[in-house]
Amino acid sequence: MSQIDKRRIAEALILASPEPISTARLAKLIPRCTPAKARALVDELNAEYLAQGRAFEICEVSGGYQMRSHAEFAPYLQQLQNARPLRLSNAALETLAIVAYRQPLTRAEVENVRGVDAGPVMRSLLERKLIKLAGHREVPGRPMLYATTKRFLEIFGLADLDDLPTLRELEEIALEAADIGDAFAAQDVESLAAELDAGPDAPPGAEISLEDVEVVGKPH
Amino acid sequence: MTASVPESDPVALATESLVTYSVRLPVFEGPLDLLLHLIRINEVEITDIPIARIGEQYLEYLRLMGELDLEVVGEYLVMASTLAWIKSRMLLPAERVGEDGEEVDPRAELIARLLEYQRFKEVAAELGERKRLGRDVFAAHAAGLEAPAESEREIDVELFDLVEAYRRALAASRESDARPHEIEAEEITVRERMLEIMTVLEPRASIDFDVLLREEPHRPYTRLLVVVTFLAILELTRLAAIRIYQGLDDRGVPDGPIHLRRAIDPGDTAWIDQIPESM
Repeated sequence: MSQIDKRRIAEALILASPEPISTARLAKLIPRCTPAKARALVDELNAEYLAQGRAFEICEVSGGYQMRSHAEFAPYLQQLQNARPLRLSNAALETLAIVAYRQPLTRAEVENVRGVDAGPVMRSLLERKLIKLAGHREVPGRPMLYATTKRFLEIFGLADLDDLPTLRELEEIALEAADIGDAFAAQDVESLAAELDAGPDAPPGAEISLEDVEVVGKPH
Repeated sequence: MTASVPESDPVALATESLVTYSVRLPVFEGPLDLLLHLIRINEVEITDIPIARIGEQYLEYLRLMGELDLEVVGEYLVMASTLAWIKSRMLLPAERVGEDGEEVDPRAELIARLLEYQRFKEVAAELGERKRLGRDVFAAHAAGLEAPAESEREIDVELFDLVEAYRRALAASRESDARPHEIEAEEITVRERMLEIMTVLEPRASIDFDVLLREEPHRPYTRLLVVVTFLAILELTRLAAIRIYQGLDDRGVPDGPIHLRRAIDPGDTAWIDQIPESM
Protein backbone atom coordinates (compact mmCIF):
# COMPACT_ATOMS: atom_id res chain seq x y z
CA MET A 1 0.00 0.00 0.00
CA SER A 2 1.44 3.29 -1.07
CA GLN A 3 2.01 6.27 1.14
CA ILE A 4 -0.66 8.15 -0.80
CA ASP A 5 -3.21 5.42 -0.06
CA LYS A 6 -2.41 5.55 3.62
CA ARG A 7 -2.76 9.28 3.53
CA ARG A 8 -6.24 8.93 2.06
CA ILE A 9 -7.23 6.37 4.71
CA ALA A 10 -6.05 8.74 7.44
CA GLU A 11 -8.03 11.51 5.78
CA ALA A 12 -11.22 9.41 5.69
CA LEU A 13 -10.81 8.35 9.32
CA ILE A 14 -10.23 11.87 10.57
CA LEU A 15 -13.09 13.24 8.46
CA ALA A 16 -15.64 10.73 9.68
CA SER A 17 -14.56 10.21 13.28
CA PRO A 18 -17.24 11.51 15.64
CA GLU A 19 -14.60 12.72 18.06
CA PRO A 20 -10.92 13.69 17.79
CA ILE A 21 -9.03 10.56 16.76
CA SER A 22 -5.66 9.82 18.35
CA THR A 23 -2.43 8.87 16.57
CA ALA A 24 -2.54 5.53 18.38
CA ARG A 25 -5.99 4.86 17.00
CA LEU A 26 -4.98 5.90 13.49
CA ALA A 27 -1.91 3.68 13.70
CA LYS A 28 -4.13 0.73 14.59
CA LEU A 29 -6.62 1.27 11.81
CA ILE A 30 -4.21 2.13 9.00
CA PRO A 31 -2.30 -0.92 7.70
CA ARG A 32 1.39 -1.02 8.69
CA CYS A 33 1.39 2.30 10.48
CA THR A 34 2.85 3.64 13.71
CA PRO A 35 1.76 6.65 15.76
CA ALA A 36 4.79 8.57 14.45
CA LYS A 37 3.88 7.68 10.86
CA ALA A 38 0.27 8.67 11.50
CA ARG A 39 1.48 12.06 12.69
CA ALA A 40 3.55 12.38 9.50
CA LEU A 41 0.49 11.52 7.40
CA VAL A 42 -1.46 14.30 9.10
CA ASP A 43 1.35 16.76 8.39
CA GLU A 44 1.32 15.72 4.74
CA LEU A 45 -2.44 16.15 4.55
CA ASN A 46 -2.26 19.61 6.08
CA ALA A 47 0.49 20.57 3.63
CA GLU A 48 -1.79 19.38 0.81
CA TYR A 49 -4.74 21.42 2.10
CA LEU A 50 -2.58 24.49 2.45
CA ALA A 51 -1.21 24.12 -1.09
CA GLN A 52 -4.72 23.65 -2.47
CA GLY A 53 -6.13 26.53 -0.42
CA ARG A 54 -8.80 24.40 1.21
CA ALA A 55 -11.30 25.83 3.74
CA PHE A 56 -10.23 23.49 6.52
CA GLU A 57 -7.28 21.90 8.20
CA ILE A 58 -6.59 19.05 10.61
CA CYS A 59 -6.18 20.33 14.16
CA GLU A 60 -4.83 18.55 17.20
CA VAL A 61 -7.41 18.86 19.94
CA SER A 62 -8.07 16.98 23.14
CA GLY A 63 -5.55 14.26 22.41
CA GLY A 64 -6.63 13.60 18.82
CA TYR A 65 -7.05 14.97 15.33
CA GLN A 66 -10.11 16.71 13.99
CA MET A 67 -10.91 18.51 10.75
CA ARG A 68 -11.92 22.07 11.42
CA SER A 69 -12.91 24.92 9.16
CA HIS A 70 -10.75 28.03 9.06
CA ALA A 71 -11.96 30.89 11.24
CA GLU A 72 -12.54 33.16 8.23
CA PHE A 73 -15.61 31.11 7.31
CA ALA A 74 -17.25 31.56 10.72
CA PRO A 75 -19.79 34.19 9.51
CA TYR A 76 -21.17 31.71 6.98
CA LEU A 77 -21.07 28.68 9.21
CA GLN A 78 -22.70 30.43 12.16
CA GLN A 79 -25.83 30.87 10.03
CA LEU A 80 -25.91 27.13 9.54
CA GLN A 81 -26.06 26.18 13.19
CA ASN A 82 -29.13 26.23 15.37
CA ALA A 83 -27.46 26.69 18.72
CA ARG A 84 -26.04 30.08 19.53
CA PRO A 85 -22.29 30.00 20.02
CA LEU A 86 -21.12 29.43 23.55
CA ARG A 87 -20.91 32.77 25.30
CA LEU A 88 -18.50 33.11 28.17
CA SER A 89 -18.35 36.12 30.46
CA ASN A 90 -15.07 37.47 31.79
CA ALA A 91 -15.93 35.88 35.12
CA ALA A 92 -16.42 32.52 33.40
CA LEU A 93 -13.14 32.82 31.49
CA GLU A 94 -11.19 33.82 34.59
CA THR A 95 -12.67 30.93 36.56
CA LEU A 96 -11.94 28.49 33.74
CA ALA A 97 -8.36 29.72 33.53
CA ILE A 98 -7.84 29.25 37.26
CA VAL A 99 -9.35 25.75 37.21
CA ALA A 100 -7.33 24.82 34.11
CA TYR A 101 -3.97 25.76 35.63
CA ARG A 102 -4.57 24.72 39.22
CA GLN A 103 -6.68 21.59 38.84
CA PRO A 104 -7.85 19.73 40.70
CA LEU A 105 -8.85 22.46 43.12
CA THR A 106 -11.69 23.48 45.41
CA ARG A 107 -14.17 26.27 44.96
CA ALA A 108 -12.59 28.12 47.90
CA GLU A 109 -9.25 28.11 46.09
CA VAL A 110 -10.85 29.68 43.02
CA GLU A 111 -12.44 32.30 45.25
CA ASN A 112 -9.07 32.99 46.85
CA VAL A 113 -7.64 34.04 43.52
CA ARG A 114 -10.62 35.96 42.18
CA GLY A 115 -11.66 37.53 45.47
CA VAL A 116 -15.37 36.95 44.80
CA ASP A 117 -17.95 34.22 45.26
CA ALA A 118 -17.41 31.60 42.56
CA GLY A 119 -20.55 29.52 43.15
CA PRO A 120 -22.83 30.71 40.34
CA VAL A 121 -20.05 30.83 37.76
CA MET A 122 -18.80 27.37 38.60
CA ARG A 123 -22.31 25.98 38.52
CA SER A 124 -22.80 27.37 35.04
CA LEU A 125 -19.44 25.96 33.90
CA LEU A 126 -20.45 22.58 35.31
CA GLU A 127 -23.77 22.74 33.47
CA ARG A 128 -21.99 23.58 30.25
CA LYS A 129 -19.63 20.68 30.89
CA LEU A 130 -16.51 22.80 30.74
CA ILE A 131 -15.54 21.73 34.24
CA LYS A 132 -16.38 18.60 36.19
CA LEU A 133 -16.26 17.25 39.69
CA ALA A 134 -13.03 15.46 40.36
CA GLY A 135 -13.40 13.82 43.74
CA HIS A 136 -12.80 15.30 47.15
CA ARG A 137 -9.78 16.73 48.87
CA GLU A 138 -9.07 14.51 51.82
CA VAL A 139 -9.14 17.24 54.43
CA PRO A 140 -11.78 18.00 57.04
CA GLY A 141 -15.04 18.78 55.30
CA ARG A 142 -13.89 16.85 52.22
CA PRO A 143 -14.45 19.76 49.83
CA MET A 144 -15.27 18.91 46.21
CA LEU A 145 -12.48 19.19 43.70
CA TYR A 146 -12.98 20.57 40.22
CA ALA A 147 -11.12 19.95 36.97
CA THR A 148 -11.56 20.87 33.33
CA THR A 149 -13.21 18.46 30.88
CA LYS A 150 -12.27 17.09 27.46
CA ARG A 151 -14.93 19.37 26.10
CA PHE A 152 -12.99 22.33 27.47
CA LEU A 153 -9.99 21.26 25.38
CA GLU A 154 -12.18 20.78 22.32
CA ILE A 155 -13.96 24.12 22.63
CA PHE A 156 -10.71 26.03 23.01
CA GLY A 157 -8.81 23.95 20.46
CA LEU A 158 -6.17 22.75 22.91
CA ALA A 159 -4.24 19.53 22.24
CA ASP A 160 -3.90 18.91 25.98
CA LEU A 161 -3.44 20.86 29.22
CA ASP A 162 0.23 21.51 28.41
CA ASP A 163 -1.03 23.37 25.38
CA LEU A 164 -2.49 26.15 27.58
CA PRO A 165 -0.91 29.56 27.17
CA THR A 166 2.05 29.94 29.47
CA LEU A 167 1.21 31.50 32.78
CA ARG A 168 3.54 34.47 33.15
CA GLU A 169 5.95 34.40 36.02
CA LEU A 170 4.94 36.70 38.85
CA GLU A 171 8.42 38.24 38.68
CA GLU A 172 7.81 39.22 35.11
CA ILE A 173 4.53 40.96 35.85
CA ALA A 174 6.04 42.71 38.86
CA LEU A 175 9.10 43.86 36.93
CA GLU A 176 6.97 45.15 34.12
CA ALA A 177 4.90 47.10 36.59
CA ALA A 178 7.74 48.32 38.74
CA ASP A 179 10.98 50.04 37.88
CA ILE A 180 13.81 47.68 38.58
CA GLY A 181 15.25 48.24 42.02
CA ASP A 182 12.00 49.56 43.37
CA ALA A 183 10.68 49.19 46.89
CA PHE A 184 9.42 45.75 46.14
CA ALA A 185 12.63 43.88 45.53
CA ALA A 186 12.63 41.08 43.00
CA GLN A 187 13.61 38.61 45.66
CA ASP A 188 10.47 39.38 47.61
CA VAL A 189 8.46 38.54 44.54
CA GLU A 190 10.40 35.33 44.17
CA SER A 191 9.60 34.16 47.65
CA LEU A 192 5.99 35.15 47.14
CA ALA A 193 5.91 33.28 43.88
CA ALA A 194 7.25 30.18 45.57
CA GLU A 195 4.63 30.52 48.26
CA LEU A 196 1.84 30.94 45.74
CA ASP A 197 3.01 28.09 43.55
CA ALA A 198 2.83 25.83 46.57
CA GLY A 199 -0.90 26.46 46.39
CA PRO A 200 -3.19 27.78 49.05
CA ASP A 201 -3.99 25.68 52.09
CA ALA A 202 -3.00 22.45 50.41
CA PRO A 203 -1.42 20.13 52.94
CA PRO A 204 1.28 18.02 51.30
CA GLY A 205 0.01 14.72 50.04
CA ALA A 206 -3.59 15.85 49.97
CA GLU A 207 -3.42 16.47 46.25
CA ILE A 208 -5.01 13.77 44.15
CA SER A 209 -3.19 13.34 40.88
CA LEU A 210 -5.21 14.15 37.82
CA GLU A 211 -4.75 10.73 36.29
CA ASP A 212 -6.66 8.87 38.92
CA VAL A 213 -9.51 11.22 39.52
CA GLU A 214 -12.77 11.20 37.73
CA VAL A 215 -16.20 12.12 38.86
CA VAL A 216 -17.30 10.21 41.89
CA GLY A 217 -19.95 12.54 43.21
CA LYS A 218 -23.11 13.97 41.84
CA PRO A 219 -23.35 17.56 40.68
CA HIS A 220 -25.25 19.48 43.25
CA MET B 1 -23.34 44.14 37.67
CA THR B 2 -25.74 46.43 35.87
CA ALA B 3 -28.84 48.04 37.25
CA SER B 4 -31.59 46.16 35.53
CA VAL B 5 -34.72 48.19 35.00
CA PRO B 6 -38.07 46.77 34.00
CA GLU B 7 -39.11 48.47 30.78
CA SER B 8 -42.63 49.07 31.98
CA ASP B 9 -41.56 51.37 34.81
CA PRO B 10 -41.35 54.95 33.46
CA VAL B 11 -39.91 56.36 36.71
CA ALA B 12 -37.15 53.82 36.79
CA LEU B 13 -36.46 54.44 33.11
CA ALA B 14 -36.16 58.18 33.71
CA THR B 15 -33.91 57.59 36.69
CA GLU B 16 -31.72 55.34 34.64
CA SER B 17 -31.30 57.89 31.87
CA LEU B 18 -30.31 60.47 34.53
CA VAL B 19 -27.86 58.06 35.98
CA THR B 20 -26.25 57.24 32.65
CA TYR B 21 -25.98 60.96 32.09
CA SER B 22 -24.17 61.76 35.32
CA VAL B 23 -21.77 58.87 35.76
CA ARG B 24 -20.40 56.08 33.74
CA LEU B 25 -19.59 53.18 35.92
CA PRO B 26 -17.49 50.41 34.50
CA VAL B 27 -18.36 46.93 35.61
CA PHE B 28 -15.79 45.07 37.65
CA GLU B 29 -15.36 41.40 38.35
CA GLY B 30 -14.70 42.03 42.02
CA PRO B 31 -12.60 44.04 44.46
CA LEU B 32 -9.29 42.86 42.98
CA ASP B 33 -10.43 43.83 39.51
CA LEU B 34 -11.50 47.26 40.75
CA LEU B 35 -8.14 47.75 42.48
CA LEU B 36 -6.24 46.79 39.34
CA HIS B 37 -8.33 49.32 37.42
CA LEU B 38 -7.57 52.08 39.94
CA ILE B 39 -3.89 51.19 39.84
CA ARG B 40 -3.95 51.44 36.05
CA ILE B 41 -5.78 54.76 35.79
CA ASN B 42 -3.58 56.27 38.49
CA GLU B 43 -0.54 55.04 36.57
CA VAL B 44 1.02 53.65 39.72
CA GLU B 45 2.82 50.36 40.16
CA ILE B 46 1.16 47.27 41.56
CA THR B 47 4.23 46.68 43.65
CA ASP B 48 4.17 50.14 45.21
CA ILE B 49 0.54 51.07 45.70
CA PRO B 50 -0.14 54.47 47.27
CA ILE B 51 -2.62 52.97 49.70
CA ALA B 52 -4.13 56.25 50.94
CA ARG B 53 -4.97 57.54 47.45
CA ILE B 54 -6.13 54.22 46.02
CA GLY B 55 -8.08 53.44 49.18
CA GLU B 56 -9.93 56.73 48.95
CA GLN B 57 -10.88 56.16 45.33
CA TYR B 58 -11.93 52.64 46.17
CA LEU B 59 -14.36 53.92 48.80
CA GLU B 60 -15.58 56.56 46.37
CA TYR B 61 -16.45 53.80 43.95
CA LEU B 62 -18.34 51.89 46.64
CA ARG B 63 -20.30 55.07 47.42
CA LEU B 64 -21.22 55.38 43.75
CA MET B 65 -22.35 51.80 43.71
CA GLY B 66 -24.56 52.58 46.69
CA GLU B 67 -26.03 55.64 45.00
CA LEU B 68 -26.84 53.59 41.95
CA ASP B 69 -28.56 51.04 44.14
CA LEU B 70 -26.09 48.43 43.01
CA GLU B 71 -25.63 45.82 45.60
CA VAL B 72 -22.30 46.35 47.27
CA VAL B 73 -21.44 42.76 47.94
CA GLY B 74 -19.57 41.63 50.99
CA GLU B 75 -16.30 41.02 49.18
CA TYR B 76 -15.99 44.73 48.35
CA LEU B 77 -16.49 45.66 51.99
CA VAL B 78 -13.92 43.13 53.17
CA MET B 79 -11.40 44.67 50.78
CA ALA B 80 -12.28 48.17 52.04
CA SER B 81 -11.44 47.11 55.57
CA THR B 82 -8.23 45.42 54.38
CA LEU B 83 -7.18 48.69 52.73
CA ALA B 84 -7.99 50.62 55.90
CA TRP B 85 -5.95 48.16 57.93
CA ILE B 86 -2.96 48.41 55.60
CA LYS B 87 -3.18 52.20 55.67
CA SER B 88 -3.04 52.22 59.47
CA ARG B 89 -0.15 49.74 59.49
CA MET B 90 1.78 51.96 57.11
CA LEU B 91 1.53 54.80 59.61
CA LEU B 92 2.82 52.75 62.52
CA PRO B 93 6.36 51.59 63.08
CA ALA B 94 6.92 48.11 61.64
CA GLU B 95 5.69 45.37 63.86
CA ARG B 96 5.96 42.37 61.67
CA VAL B 97 9.51 41.44 60.88
CA GLY B 98 10.46 38.81 58.35
CA GLU B 99 12.88 35.95 58.87
CA ASP B 100 15.78 38.00 57.59
CA GLY B 101 15.06 40.70 60.17
CA GLU B 102 13.76 43.13 57.58
CA GLU B 103 10.48 44.93 57.87
CA VAL B 104 7.54 43.26 56.21
CA ASP B 105 5.65 45.61 53.91
CA PRO B 106 2.04 45.55 55.16
CA ARG B 107 1.03 45.69 51.50
CA ALA B 108 2.94 42.52 50.57
CA GLU B 109 0.02 40.13 50.82
CA LEU B 110 -2.31 42.38 48.86
CA ILE B 111 0.37 42.89 46.20
CA ALA B 112 0.83 39.14 45.89
CA ARG B 113 -2.90 38.65 45.42
CA LEU B 114 -3.09 41.41 42.84
CA LEU B 115 -0.19 39.96 40.86
CA GLU B 116 -1.72 36.51 41.04
CA TYR B 117 -5.11 37.79 39.90
CA GLN B 118 -3.50 39.86 37.15
CA ARG B 119 -1.77 36.82 35.69
CA PHE B 120 -5.01 34.83 35.54
CA LYS B 121 -6.80 37.80 34.00
CA GLU B 122 -4.17 37.75 31.29
CA VAL B 123 -4.53 34.07 30.43
CA ALA B 124 -8.32 34.37 30.67
CA ALA B 125 -8.12 37.09 28.02
CA GLU B 126 -5.91 34.82 25.91
CA LEU B 127 -8.38 31.97 26.29
CA GLY B 128 -11.18 34.31 25.30
CA GLU B 129 -9.35 35.26 22.11
CA ARG B 130 -8.64 31.70 21.07
CA LYS B 131 -10.54 30.40 18.10
CA ARG B 132 -13.51 28.75 19.70
CA LEU B 133 -15.28 25.66 18.44
CA GLY B 134 -18.83 26.50 17.41
CA ARG B 135 -18.08 30.21 17.14
CA ASP B 136 -14.96 30.61 15.02
CA VAL B 137 -14.18 27.14 13.82
CA PHE B 138 -16.43 24.19 13.08
CA ALA B 139 -15.56 20.53 13.17
CA ALA B 140 -16.23 17.90 10.57
CA HIS B 141 -17.70 14.69 11.87
CA ALA B 142 -19.96 12.03 10.51
CA ALA B 143 -23.39 11.77 12.04
CA GLY B 144 -24.41 8.22 12.78
CA LEU B 145 -20.95 6.94 13.58
CA GLU B 146 -20.46 6.28 17.23
CA ALA B 147 -16.89 5.66 18.16
CA PRO B 148 -16.29 2.92 20.65
CA ALA B 149 -13.49 3.74 23.04
CA GLU B 150 -9.88 3.13 22.05
CA SER B 151 -8.97 -0.49 21.32
CA GLU B 152 -12.53 -1.63 21.83
CA ARG B 153 -15.16 -3.07 19.61
CA GLU B 154 -18.68 -3.94 20.49
CA ILE B 155 -19.22 -7.58 21.19
CA ASP B 156 -21.86 -9.48 23.03
CA VAL B 157 -20.36 -10.03 26.40
CA GLU B 158 -21.06 -13.60 27.33
CA LEU B 159 -22.94 -14.00 30.54
CA PHE B 160 -20.02 -16.12 31.64
CA ASP B 161 -17.61 -13.19 31.30
CA LEU B 162 -19.85 -11.00 33.39
CA VAL B 163 -20.19 -13.64 36.04
CA GLU B 164 -16.42 -14.08 36.02
CA ALA B 165 -15.93 -10.33 36.57
CA TYR B 166 -18.54 -10.51 39.30
CA ARG B 167 -16.73 -13.41 40.94
CA ARG B 168 -13.42 -11.51 40.88
CA ALA B 169 -15.04 -8.45 42.41
CA LEU B 170 -16.66 -10.56 45.09
CA ALA B 171 -13.36 -12.21 45.94
CA ALA B 172 -11.75 -8.79 46.28
CA SER B 173 -14.60 -7.61 48.48
CA ARG B 174 -14.08 -10.60 50.74
CA GLU B 175 -10.48 -9.54 51.32
CA SER B 176 -11.71 -6.06 52.01
CA ASP B 177 -14.43 -7.31 54.35
CA ALA B 178 -11.76 -9.10 56.33
CA ARG B 179 -10.00 -5.86 57.11
CA PRO B 180 -10.92 -5.07 60.70
CA HIS B 181 -11.11 -1.28 60.50
CA GLU B 182 -13.98 -1.21 58.04
CA ILE B 183 -17.06 -1.71 60.09
CA GLU B 184 -19.70 0.59 58.67
CA ALA B 185 -21.83 -1.11 56.10
CA GLU B 186 -23.65 1.42 53.98
CA GLU B 187 -27.18 0.65 52.95
CA ILE B 188 -27.63 1.20 49.28
CA THR B 189 -30.46 0.25 46.96
CA VAL B 190 -30.17 -0.96 43.40
CA ARG B 191 -32.03 2.13 42.27
CA GLU B 192 -29.58 4.44 44.02
CA ARG B 193 -26.67 2.53 42.59
CA MET B 194 -28.13 2.79 39.08
CA LEU B 195 -28.34 6.56 39.44
CA GLU B 196 -24.77 6.64 40.75
CA ILE B 197 -23.45 4.62 37.85
CA MET B 198 -25.16 6.91 35.34
CA THR B 199 -23.70 9.93 37.15
CA VAL B 200 -20.24 8.44 36.82
CA LEU B 201 -20.95 7.87 33.13
CA GLU B 202 -22.27 11.39 32.64
CA PRO B 203 -18.99 13.12 31.80
CA ARG B 204 -17.42 10.17 30.02
CA ALA B 205 -18.64 7.55 27.64
CA SER B 206 -17.34 4.43 29.31
CA ILE B 207 -15.80 2.93 32.41
CA ASP B 208 -14.23 -0.38 33.41
CA PHE B 209 -16.41 -2.65 35.47
CA ASP B 210 -13.54 -3.11 37.91
CA VAL B 211 -12.78 0.60 38.05
CA LEU B 212 -16.40 1.38 38.81
CA LEU B 213 -16.08 -0.52 42.05
CA ARG B 214 -12.78 1.08 42.93
CA GLU B 215 -13.95 4.58 42.03
CA GLU B 216 -15.00 5.43 45.53
CA PRO B 217 -12.17 4.82 47.93
CA HIS B 218 -14.16 6.40 50.76
CA ARG B 219 -16.80 3.68 50.54
CA PRO B 220 -16.08 0.26 52.00
CA TYR B 221 -15.68 -2.22 49.18
CA THR B 222 -18.19 -4.67 50.54
CA ARG B 223 -19.92 -7.74 49.24
CA LEU B 224 -23.20 -5.85 49.43
CA LEU B 225 -21.83 -3.09 47.23
CA VAL B 226 -20.59 -5.60 44.65
CA VAL B 227 -23.91 -7.41 44.54
CA VAL B 228 -25.90 -4.19 44.28
CA THR B 229 -23.55 -2.87 41.60
CA PHE B 230 -23.90 -6.03 39.57
CA LEU B 231 -27.69 -5.94 39.75
CA ALA B 232 -27.70 -2.24 38.88
CA ILE B 233 -25.57 -2.92 35.78
CA LEU B 234 -27.84 -5.71 34.61
CA GLU B 235 -30.91 -3.53 35.12
CA LEU B 236 -29.33 -0.58 33.28
CA THR B 237 -28.48 -2.90 30.40
CA ARG B 238 -32.04 -4.15 30.28
CA LEU B 239 -33.30 -0.55 30.12
CA ALA B 240 -30.76 0.07 27.32
CA ALA B 241 -29.21 2.94 29.25
CA ILE B 242 -25.80 1.30 29.02
CA ARG B 243 -24.12 -1.30 26.86
CA ILE B 244 -21.51 -3.76 27.96
CA TYR B 245 -18.32 -4.09 25.97
CA GLN B 246 -15.16 -6.06 26.10
CA GLY B 247 -11.97 -5.52 24.13
CA LEU B 248 -10.79 -8.02 21.53
CA ASP B 249 -7.25 -9.28 21.26
CA ASP B 250 -5.41 -9.54 17.91
CA ARG B 251 -7.20 -12.75 16.97
CA GLY B 252 -10.56 -11.26 17.73
CA VAL B 253 -10.99 -13.12 20.99
CA PRO B 254 -12.65 -11.19 23.81
CA ASP B 255 -9.99 -10.19 26.24
CA GLY B 256 -9.30 -7.69 28.98
CA PRO B 257 -11.57 -5.75 31.27
CA ILE B 258 -15.29 -5.41 30.71
CA HIS B 259 -16.43 -1.89 29.96
CA LEU B 260 -19.74 -0.20 30.56
CA ARG B 261 -20.65 2.31 27.91
CA ARG B 262 -23.34 4.93 28.15
CA ALA B 263 -25.90 4.21 25.40
CA ILE B 264 -28.01 7.34 25.82
CA ASP B 265 -27.30 11.07 25.68
CA PRO B 266 -25.89 12.52 28.92
CA GLY B 267 -29.01 14.55 29.77
CA ASP B 268 -31.47 11.78 28.90
CA THR B 269 -33.31 10.66 32.03
CA ALA B 270 -36.23 8.79 30.46
CA TRP B 271 -34.82 5.48 31.69
CA ILE B 272 -35.29 6.53 35.32
CA ASP B 273 -39.07 6.31 34.93
CA GLN B 274 -38.75 2.74 33.81
CA ILE B 275 -37.00 1.46 36.90
CA PRO B 276 -39.37 -0.98 38.58
CA GLU B 277 -40.76 0.29 41.86
CA SER B 278 -39.36 -2.72 43.65
CA MET B 279 -35.74 -1.68 42.99
